[in-house]
Amino acid sequence: MKLLVCIKQTPDSTVRVKVGPGGRSIDESGVTWAIAPYDEYAVEMALERKDADAATTVAVVTVGPPRAKDALRQALAMGADEATLVTGAEAATLEGLGVARALAAVVAEAKPDLVLCGRQSSDDDQGFVGPALAEVLGWPHVAAVTNFTGADGAVDVWKEVEGGHEVWRASGPAVLTVQKSEKEPRYPSLPGIMKAKKKEIPEKDVAALGIEGGAPRLEIVKMEPPAARGGGKILKDGDTRQTAAELVRLLREEAKVL
Amino acid sequence: MKAWAVVERSPSGIRRVSLEVAAKAKDLGEASVLEVTGLARPSALPAVAALAKRAAEAKPDLVLVGATAGGRDLAARLAARLGWAYASEATGIAIDGASATVTRTMYAGKVRVTVKAPLPAVVSVRPGAFTLPQGAGEPQVEGVAASAADEPLAFQRFEPSAAAGGKVPLAEARVVVSGGRGLKGPENWKMVEELAGVLGAALGASRAVTDAGWRPNEEQVGQTGRTVTPDLYIALGISGAIQHLAGMTSSKVIVAVNKDPDADIFKVADYGVVGDLFEFVPAFTDEVRKAKARG
Repeated sequence: MKLLVCIKQTPDSTVRVKVGPGGRSIDESGVTWAIAPYDEYAVEMALERKDADAATTVAVVTVGPPRAKDALRQALAMGADEATLVTGAEAATLEGLGVARALAAVVAEAKPDLVLCGRQSSDDDQGFVGPALAEVLGWPHVAAVTNFTGADGAVDVWKEVEGGHEVWRASGPAVLTVQKSEKEPRYPSLPGIMKAKKKEIPEKDVAALGIEGGAPRLEIVKMEPPAARGGGKILKDGDTRQTAAELVRLLREEAKVL
Repeated sequence: MKAWAVVERSPSGIRRVSLEVAAKAKDLGEASVLEVTGLARPSALPAVAALAKRAAEAKPDLVLVGATAGGRDLAARLAARLGWAYASEATGIAIDGASATVTRTMYAGKVRVTVKAPLPAVVSVRPGAFTLPQGAGEPQVEGVAASAADEPLAFQRFEPSAAAGGKVPLAEARVVVSGGRGLKGPENWKMVEELAGVLGAALGASRAVTDAGWRPNEEQVGQTGRTVTPDLYIALGISGAIQHLAGMTSSKVIVAVNKDPDADIFKVADYGVVGDLFEFVPAFTDEVRKAKARG
């Protein structure tokens, strides 16, 4: 099976994100970048299929600035076979539908059987590119995927829903937006890292893909840190029973949530 | 301004977030409340086909959808189909001439942002972000018939989660009781379930707990899990990693129980209990039960 995984490079999940001086973007100084967490699950899910079937190949692609090459390099080190960077001056301003169109151009050339994306990036938090890519391709998509297996020339896909999983069968190409892989994303091995270092990562210029309508729709008016919290009441050193009764009283009378 | 609310139904009626969305649509303009019908199992693609067709005729300016698992999925694909602007998980919406001003979060909940989306637009709405007006009854719902012929995928089966409890859907719950590593093992969840039962709460968990397989993934709160905004969030034995905080700091009231007085969870808590949760939780459950009985 030929798998293509779309990834995005975003601030590492342990980074404390700060709003930049203009109040319309984040302060990128000192930010360490990584593959967005759901995208990393998508890479892992694809590699798990490759582990189980030697004929499966895994390619990764990202649309982003030159630094996004590090995310591709990381995916190669984890075990992906090849990587493509879609970049150029326009890549920085493309919004969801534009990114989907750029990815669709790569899909049209690579002709994968399945495309995997993370369920949402950890910067825009929109969850739009996966379904939009499927729409541009005219393919079905399955959201919140936790597993898939080949079955009689088709693919069975596990979709996380409230209370369990639905299993859907796709008999042709599809886009899966990944919720979580079966195992935690693997760490690259040392030979993996060495191999990834030597691998050539071809670049495509967004401008050359002939994408229309990729201009941003959403205008960021203002960015702020989350509302400050804290200064709460701390109950300690008391008799457990009394503390419990006191907390119930506070939640009823002061917070009015019980 | 024509605003649509696309609603979802559960066995007990129209879902709470759908009622919130319907009330919001009414606030914003001339509202229609739509429900996709005719599908044995809700699914994004046939629903999108039916709604896009109706949108082409009725020309709404704004389509609001509750950001449930199914709603997010449908809203994103619908926006792509229509080629409209899309904003997900809105916590505030105002109409401002030819655009919608939407507040939402970015960077996995670490940043609040205000964006302007040109109309027409599709916006998914975070459950609990808009309070349901007092006495808001069931709205008048128009059916939009979807066709199974627009479903390219074949449904095989439903596999329910093995975990007991968790009767209240997490994303929409008004009270959430979450457990972390401080509970020491899955066998100790009885206590958490009992408290949740008394409070009518949904169950949540930290990532450490779902990664360890103590609880199902769908209960994970935080980055790579669910973002929740209940009236009351109770964190039991959760230290408060930044990824967890990102998913719950917008809760109205936060209670934390932890034996480590320096745990980061106390920095966001409105009420903190420093102590042994194995002693405290049963006593607290008992006190809540007594208080509820008193009325």
